[in-house]
Amino acid sequence: MTINPRRNLANRCNALKSTGPRSTAGKRASSQNSRKHGLNSTPDFESSLEYRALVDLIAEEGFSGFVCADIAAGLLNYRRVMDAYYDTYTSPEPVDEFMRDMNVMASIPIFRELLIPSGSEPQDVKEMATFFTHMQRQERRKGGPVSRRSADSHKLIRYQRNGIARLSRAVRQG
Amino acid sequence: MLYNAHFGIYVDVAMSVEDKSKSLLPFLSSPKLLPDESEAEFQSGLQSLLSELDNPSPLAVALVSQLNECLWWIKRHTVDKELLLHEAMARLLSKAGSHSETYDNRKVSEALERYLDGRADKDEAEWIDEVLAESKLTLSDLRVRAFKDAAKYIKMVDDLIHRQHQTIRHLQRSIDSIDYKSRLIKRMDLELAALESKQSVKGALSLDDKSS
Repeated sequence: MTINPRRNLANRCNALKSTGPRSTAGKRASSQNSRKHGLNSTPDFESSLEYRALVDLIAEEGFSGFVCADIAAGLLNYRRVMDAYYDTYTSPEPVDEFMRDMNVMASIPIFRELLIPSGSEPQDVKEMATFFTHMQRQERRKGGPVSRRSADSHKLIRYQRNGIARLSRAVRQG
Repeated sequence: MLYNAHFGIYVDVAMSVEDKSKSLLPFLSSPKLLPDESEAEFQSGLQSLLSELDNPSPLAVALVSQLNECLWWIKRHTVDKELLLHEAMARLLSKAGSHSETYDNRKVSEALERYLDGRADKDEAEWIDEVLAESKLTLSDLRVRAFKDAAKYIKMVDDLIHRQHQTIRHLQRSIDSIDYKSRLIKRMDLELAALESKQSVKGALSLDDKSS
């Protein structure tokens, strides 16, 4: 499907008038918008089957019950962090190519065409152009897909550090 | 007894230690690879690390598989450093020259990739040469500028690689600790056996003395 730049721009201008989701489903979906990786939540490993399987396996190596529980929880926690790391790495915020590559100055006549019939002032056209320039600057500052995934993955470093320290401590205590 | 976790652990109490270790692998090291990565390469790295284990206990196998994943991440991030440079070079090229309005970033990136590989067609090669000439840049100048532009992200990737090195160090210490523990247990068993045999010899000698 070919993307019509004019249509795209009109959609974006109309989207600016939006006041957010109205339906319950829409509100539920948008309430998860800021959720990134879920690593700040407290996991319940003890009730999982894999936790019990790990505890039993580790117990056979001569570790005490408490140490086995610590190691199994440490291992599952580390896996949780690494899975989130992989997910973050493989799904960075997508590049908005339209916004990044658009020529704002050349779009001013289109803004005018879209805004003037609805009773807007010429000043509004100028403000719209300024807004799009600002958005474009922000989009360009984020860089390409590799920069984005590097920046996103970088935020998980502290979780990795804590996860491996917990696991290592549990193993060496035993 | 059989555990069937949704992650895929199948552990039977009658299994040998080696089989149990293997049963852990799908759960702890099911390779989450990118579409262009080779699973065979990942597995061969894991197998070579596992073959170096003196005592392949389930926990040691679990830790070694995490270590293999760290090595894989280091490889990925090293490739990313080169990709970041490429991204910055493409960005600089698309901004430069009088064609900047007609060429978008993706087109430039693909053209540059072909140009650097020597696969660019005549038009693309001419366009890139022209933009470089207009901006009074050589390819190495462009690379230097790109490096400057991408320095912030390259530093981030370096941090990610450093983190993996630190993690490997933690894992190695943990594996050493398990190995040391198992050796210690073996040594104590041997000493105990030696003491017991000494005791039984002494007992036999004292019985001999009494009887004589």
